[in-house]
Amino acid sequence: MYINPKQMATNEIQVEEPEVEDNDAEDESKGKKVAKHDAGAADLEKVTDYEEEKEIAAQDIQDAIRVVSDRQNKEAKAKHEKEKELSKVKINKDDVDYIVQEIEISRSRAERVLREYKGNVIEALVFLTN
Amino acid sequence: MPSKNPLPPKENAFFKRILKCYEQKHYKSGLKFAKQILSNPKFAEHGETLAMKGLTLNCLGRKEEAYDFVRRGLRNDLTSHVCWHVYGLLQRSDRKYDEAIKCYRNALKWDKDNLQILRDLSLLQIQMRDLEGYRETRYQLLALRPGQRASWIGYAMAYHLLKDYDMCLKILEEFRKTQTPKPVYDYEHSELLLYQNMVMQEAGMNQEAIEHLKTFDKQIVDRLYVQETTAHLYMFLGQPEKAAEIYRELLSRNPENWNYYKGYEKALFLEDKPDERMKMYRSIMEQFPRATMPKRLPLDFATDDVFRDLIDDYLKKSLRKGVPPSFVSIKSVYKDPVKVKVIEDLVLSYVDNLIKTGKFDSKGEVEPATSLLWAYYYLAQHFDYLKNIEKALEYVNLGIEHTPLLIELYVLKAKIYKHAGDMDEAVRLMDEAQSLDTADRYINCKCAKYMLRANLIQEAAEMCSKFTREGVSAVENLNEMQCMWFQTECSFAYKRLGKWGEALKKCHEIDRHFTEIIEDQFDFHTYCMRKMTLRSYVGLLRLEDSLRSHPFYSKIAILALEIYLHLYDHPLTDTDHDSDVNSENLSPSELKKMKRKQRKAQKKAELEKEKLKAEQEKRDQNKNKAADGEMDGPKEEELIPDKLARTEDPLEQAIHFLKPLQMLTSKCIVTHVMAYEIYSRKGKLLLMLQSIKRGVVADRNNPQFHICLIHFLQYVKDKGEITEPAKSVINLEMKNIYQGKTALQLNEEFLAANSDSLEHRLAGARMMYKLDRSRQEEAMSLATSLDSKLKGLTIQNCIEVLEALCRGDLGKCEQEALEYQARCHKIFPHATAFIIPTPAPANCGSVECASTEQILVNGSALKNES
Repeated sequence: MYINPKQMATNEIQVEEPEVEDNDAEDESKGKKVAKHDAGAADLEKVTDYEEEKEIAAQDIQDAIRVVSDRQNKEAKAKHEKEKELSKVKINKDDVDYIVQEIEISRSRAERVLREYKGNVIEALVFLTN
Repeated sequence: MPSKNPLPPKENAFFKRILKCYEQKHYKSGLKFAKQILSNPKFAEHGETLAMKGLTLNCLGRKEEAYDFVRRGLRNDLTSHVCWHVYGLLQRSDRKYDEAIKCYRNALKWDKDNLQILRDLSLLQIQMRDLEGYRETRYQLLALRPGQRASWIGYAMAYHLLKDYDMCLKILEEFRKTQTPKPVYDYEHSELLLYQNMVMQEAGMNQEAIEHLKTFDKQIVDRLYVQETTAHLYMFLGQPEKAAEIYRELLSRNPENWNYYKGYEKALFLEDKPDERMKMYRSIMEQFPRATMPKRLPLDFATDDVFRDLIDDYLKKSLRKGVPPSFVSIKSVYKDPVKVKVIEDLVLSYVDNLIKTGKFDSKGEVEPATSLLWAYYYLAQHFDYLKNIEKALEYVNLGIEHTPLLIELYVLKAKIYKHAGDMDEAVRLMDEAQSLDTADRYINCKCAKYMLRANLIQEAAEMCSKFTREGVSAVENLNEMQCMWFQTECSFAYKRLGKWGEALKKCHEIDRHFTEIIEDQFDFHTYCMRKMTLRSYVGLLRLEDSLRSHPFYSKIAILALEIYLHLYDHPLTDTDHDSDVNSENLSPSELKKMKRKQRKAQKKAELEKEKLKAEQEKRDQNKNKAADGEMDGPKEEELIPDKLARTEDPLEQAIHFLKPLQMLTSKCIVTHVMAYEIYSRKGKLLLMLQSIKRGVVADRNNPQFHICLIHFLQYVKDKGEITEPAKSVINLEMKNIYQGKTALQLNEEFLAANSDSLEHRLAGARMMYKLDRSRQEEAMSLATSLDSKLKGLTIQNCIEVLEALCRGDLGKCEQEALEYQARCHKIFPHATAFIIPTPAPANCGSVECASTEQILVNGSALKNES
């Protein structure tokens, strides 16, 4: 299902009920007016052919994908390790409060820096005042 | 898509219609279809329909209803990806990107492979620069749609932005292998290759990059880029002979490009070989006799007779032709006083000869009559640059006598008066210049700018209105057009007039322009990918990242900071009218005059208001007609000057302007001085330390920063016991910064090292007096010296000294201030700031003293303490 707010108005709509059709006509003329006013945007839209929908020949894709996904997995793992390591560091809640209060940064950033400095609040503060 | 409450076929068809109507912007019909479903009691609470109805209403500008419906829809169907997606779109339209990202994530929980939602999510992530998240999303898109170009490009770009060049290149290469370029002129393929090349260069793979350019030479259509880049790369790779060859070709292609000459010189190692360097230029001169660059560039390095001959030729040509910017084009030569003298002698001799014989010198032919005029014009600029105001005026007046209707002369004369410190006369002259050609917008803008410098805001707006859209007030139209120079100058003028609120309004308006520019990049995320303009796209992203480092921003940000600091130190009272011009210092007759003026202004303002009202009505009518259109972003809160000036938390407001400066212009010392001023008022010790540490790195010797340094030292000393952990941190850092010196030592050293600079002397003197009241006389003589050998002996700096005296930074010294003003007047006879009004001056006396109220950031910080 596509919801694409950027698409320009087209006038292809066809509706059975006559009542609604009337309104469509009205809408259409309005749509045109808007288009005229935004001549620049309309031109921009004209040069926009939907290139991204062009499909690539499927030949070498498999190899390429393999290269890519290997790397992706490795990275996810490394990142996970690092996060795990950091989350193991014990930090003092009072230290976090202190940093948030005195350096005026967000809680999550304060925690993160404190963890990176292994919970040493002085080192963390020296870093944060750099 | 599984839904908790699937619609029967007939209703489902209606629902599809709603979607289609939304896509095609037929919002009213969309609402009709929604009604058809919702009016059936069985589906009155159908979540997805309600959500879509809300989204459609949002597009019609009915915000509140929109939120109601979308939220109701979501409540009724929490497991529908449609409802979450719609909620996300709604938040996005209000620029609540963080919220929107959360919504999309929820939507993906219920439909994890939904392409459209993934795409929307990736757009928000890149907009918010969540690069890690962007990479993840792009990976999913690639896995789902490996056949699409954009999937590959997007994924590669994610790595590029994360500076993982290796991976980025791998993906690009894999992707490139799948592509078969069109045989002729395939621009997009060419862009892809050049993007690949750009990444290689950024990764420092110069050899690979050059090979790459060679391999794909035939497929790249941007020929100039290939040549320029190859030359560049050869230089990097230590093969200057090859680079020189290419630069030579490039010069044949365009002999006016300064960069090519620079590259060529470098490649031939000509920097320290003036003779060969000259020879090179002569050979190009022969090849392209009409090119100006080979004539202009040698002026920078040639000396003695060679220089004399060259400049003689250069000047004669431009005077003969009447080239107005010829002075500007050789201004950089003026760094060398010997050359300045040569030029001066030459042009003076031209004038002499032209008057006598009509020739530049004894040889040659009779020149056109205008040569003399342009020689006058040149000399006026020359003497203006050398700050010889009288001579400059003499020559510009000769010029006007010669040709009374040449606009350039009036512009120049105005400029000379501006430099001399007489803004009123400058405005008068610029207005005259403007009246000579009212159809010239350049001169119109110049005139408006001068008016603003003279605080004539109303007049400036009227001047601009000659070129702004009819039916709208000029100020409003210029805001709409993001005309930032005008708003900046307005803001400064309002500040000088003490209209803090109005000044802040302008600052906020400019701040909003910058936000707007950042918002505007949204559309490019899809567009550039689709059109393969990847190099420019990455350029755009980087530009937006550092957008607020633009001088337009830092200028008004610093201004806003100063004003907020002032408002913190001197909050407006209830009776204060914002426009208070410190009436205490005025004599009764002046007061009367002022009141009369105010009354007049009020009347005028009322008239103006009525006019505006009528215009507003007209506009509203137009708007109603044009309504129905899209709502672009959320409606912003109106900026009301009085409310801005009476803000409850000026320091927090100030921090809003400070943050971007700290992020983007950390090399600029003013940023840290400002930060220090704010945090010292907040009493945040560690943040004060932060500003000090950063300032030390940026420019320790700056006079304003010197004051902060001393203040901090005293502050910590006076504070007594500091709690841990701040204590350890401060002790540690203080040792590094101050190395155990006392404030007194620090100040003496500072003065000794900078005794030749007026600004430094003032700062040092202020601290001297602050640290030891008994040394007032010494401090005074330091600050008020007007020795012509001093650096920074300018009108502006002398005004600063005078203000410091009036403010009492150096203790009570009314008589001395008056004397100082008189001495300044002798040096700068035209400057209005130093003219002592004839009626016997009351107390401190001068017009300038009205600016006691001016914000004196450094001063007030210290005053708080003492």
